[in-house]
Amino acid sequence: MRYLSELTNPRVYVALAALSLLLIVPALIGSAFWIHIFVTICVFGALSTAWNIVGGYAGQLSLGHTIFYGLGGYTTALLIQHFGLTPWVGMFAGAAVSVVVAVGIGYPCFRLRGPFFSLATIAFLEVIRLLVIHFNGLTGGSAGLIVPLQIGWEWMIFREKMNYLYIAFGLLLLALVVSLAIRNSRLGFYLTAVREREDAAQAAGVHNAQVKLYAVMISAALTSFVGAFHAMYMTFLEPATMFSLATAVEVAMFALIGGLGTVAGPLLGTLLVVPIAEAARGWLGASANGLHGLVYGSVLVLMTLTLPGGLVGTFGPRVTAWLDKLPGARKRVDRDPPPLRKVAGTKGEVVLETRNLKKLFGGLVATDNVTVDLKRGEILGIIGPNGAGKTTLFNQMSGFLKPTSGTITVRNAKGEMVTPDSADGFARLGVGRTFQIVQPFGKLSVIENIMIGAFLHHPHVEDARASALRVARLVGLEALKDVEARNLPIGDLKRLEVARTLATEPSILLLDEVMAGQSQADTQKMVEIIRAIRDTGVSVIAIEHNMHAIMSLSDRIVVVDSGKVIAEGDPKTVVTNRKVIEAYLGEDFANAQGL
Amino acid sequence: MDVTAQLILNGIMLGSMYAIIAVGLTLIFGIVRVVNFAHGEFLMVGMYAVYLFNKQMGLHPYVSALPVVVLLFLLGALIQRFIIQKLLNADEHIQIFATVGLSTALINLALILFGADLYSVNAPAARQPVPLGSFNVLSGHIVIFCAALALVAGLHMFMQRTALGRAIRATAQNRYAAQLMGVKVERIYIISFGLGAACVGLAAALIMPLYPVSPTIGTYFVLTAFVVVVLGGMRSMYGAFFGALIIGIVDSLSGYYIAPDLKEVVYFAIFILILIFKPTGLFGFGRGTE
Repeated sequence: MRYLSELTNPRVYVALAALSLLLIVPALIGSAFWIHIFVTICVFGALSTAWNIVGGYAGQLSLGHTIFYGLGGYTTALLIQHFGLTPWVGMFAGAAVSVVVAVGIGYPCFRLRGPFFSLATIAFLEVIRLLVIHFNGLTGGSAGLIVPLQIGWEWMIFREKMNYLYIAFGLLLLALVVSLAIRNSRLGFYLTAVREREDAAQAAGVHNAQVKLYAVMISAALTSFVGAFHAMYMTFLEPATMFSLATAVEVAMFALIGGLGTVAGPLLGTLLVVPIAEAARGWLGASANGLHGLVYGSVLVLMTLTLPGGLVGTFGPRVTAWLDKLPGARKRVDRDPPPLRKVAGTKGEVVLETRNLKKLFGGLVATDNVTVDLKRGEILGIIGPNGAGKTTLFNQMSGFLKPTSGTITVRNAKGEMVTPDSADGFARLGVGRTFQIVQPFGKLSVIENIMIGAFLHHPHVEDARASALRVARLVGLEALKDVEARNLPIGDLKRLEVARTLATEPSILLLDEVMAGQSQADTQKMVEIIRAIRDTGVSVIAIEHNMHAIMSLSDRIVVVDSGKVIAEGDPKTVVTNRKVIEAYLGEDFANAQGL
Repeated sequence: MDVTAQLILNGIMLGSMYAIIAVGLTLIFGIVRVVNFAHGEFLMVGMYAVYLFNKQMGLHPYVSALPVVVLLFLLGALIQRFIIQKLLNADEHIQIFATVGLSTALINLALILFGADLYSVNAPAARQPVPLGSFNVLSGHIVIFCAALALVAGLHMFMQRTALGRAIRATAQNRYAAQLMGVKVERIYIISFGLGAACVGLAAALIMPLYPVSPTIGTYFVLTAFVVVVLGGMRSMYGAFFGALIIGIVDSLSGYYIAPDLKEVVYFAIFILILIFKPTGLFGFGRGTE
């Protein structure tokens, strides 16, 4: 019922009406040629939509996606040939093979950046194509494989061409629905977060490799289904077309032309260029050989120069604004935020401790034998001159750096002291951190940035949004909630760091110079916020250069110089400590003061 | 044993061909910091140019090296000036798509102009077997080997001894600092991209007597060149040179000892392993040595 009621939403009914044209237009024209063009559009639209889950949402530009298309086709065809298995079952076997291969490729390759990931995927595609050619006993080698001609729904092979279009359209719908569901789920937000800033995503508790693997598995399965169908449609498979680099590139380029990382983009990109190219091929015949590629390539270069956001990225907001004026449009109703997570445990117990922590960068000792305890419900200030090793200490306390020697332990929910093995593990245990050099998710709005943090304890999108709004209100970012983060000035970005971290509802909060770049009034407000958070039982460690703020804020201060703890105690005693004055102002100054 | 030695010799010859292409790719990546997915298509354009010079004007491929190098330099410079330059601050994926789009457009343009047929030039002098001790090597391969050595030596001198070379190295190290020192960074990029393309022009003239040209010839060579560049540490000219020789030898040996149709599988496997486990390249030249 909930889904049916959505049919009165213009975003839904306009989209469905437009999609149905893909069936209605060719049915009205009725010529085999036009049905073929529309089957091609549905196939490539589905492939591109599936690719976009990895290439767009997760930002991993695979140029080897036809691996899964080919595996789907070959597995299905071979199962028909050898076991007489219907392609409707075979396509699931193909998808299973593809998912396994996708994990095998994705796991090692996801650590590669930008163009090198793309190159690695091309290399995998070449390897698999060459192997398929080499093992010709099984695959028929480069001569190819003919699908046994058994006609009927059971075999996915028809005399009536419209039947192909029904299946192709169904696959396109499936891809779009999956893509839309991901877009509007925690996974979709996490993928975007990982694409924009791996470190910040990890600090929000996202297991980067895992979400990327989910994306590639889903994408591979969808691509494989389409490959299985397309093989039945063509009734002939050869390595050069099933594992084609050119096709892999086309699938990616349609998504870019339409709008990378958008739901409708890949299909729109396909709709823009495929009909032109296919029609030209149909009308001009062999003399148009290469024409479609020339069109694709040129359009792609022009798009990168003029509309890098693609069609949807450029015109999408205007179209949705127009759609929302149609009858039946929905207004967003914000629900009440879910209750805050209660910090358990007794006040004053140690929640985080480091023992003899040492970190070497080559010959440089960045952290030298540091032993610090953090107690529940206290604010611990860390001060020290530039280059003293404060941030390095933070990076170890939050799991972003592994210490050379020594240990860090954190109290978990059961009260045991444990050491998580990754930065996101620290975050899931309740250690929230900000970055001194701000790490916003540039292309997400302020509220979406905060939601990435909120998802840690509120997997449902609406809960996360409500909870993020509460945090935005607290730090004074509510008025800016729909602004893209990359457009914010530094002061607001610092508060966004704090907001994203607070949204994870941490029990230990690590703040790295959050007062820098804030006005006097905002600093005062931030001090109050931090105190209020501490009063809910959260333990805070703050690195700060703003002495006035840190002195009034902290219950206890640790002074670090050259990687060593040189003083520790309550704020008043620390500032009069001779060693501290020496570290900041030099020995001469200390002597002159008669200390 | 003799077979192995002959195979290694063949591999070195083959490798020096990859070296010229890979050095060009390295120049572009090392300085402009753009991975040029259209590099192979530059080679293809160069080879068709050599073919046309030969057919229309009767120029020997080696003689046409000069105009083709100039032509490719201009092609590279124009592409840098009108496409890459505008995308330098764009997202990485936009840069990838721009060169991928260029590559697709060029392949298909060639397909329209020349069709899918293979074209070759008649240059028997480059196909003479030359005895080298107890082994035989094609004369054309010896020319390529010498040219590769001369290219690396020449570029080394240029980079180390000339003001322009120093400006290029400075830009490669840090674009902003170079700009502050008065280096016209945009011009350096245009020259560097041109140089990278010009290397491929040289390769085209030297390869044409031995290999026929087709629209997709570039893909064949450049995928190998990418393997070489990654093996050599991505930014190092010298790394690319030695990487090319190694891949040449691997190609030659695995083609004989494993299976001719699996040799690419072997070096693509090496490529993937290096990318994943030793991204600074085989010789550790990877960290800004140029």
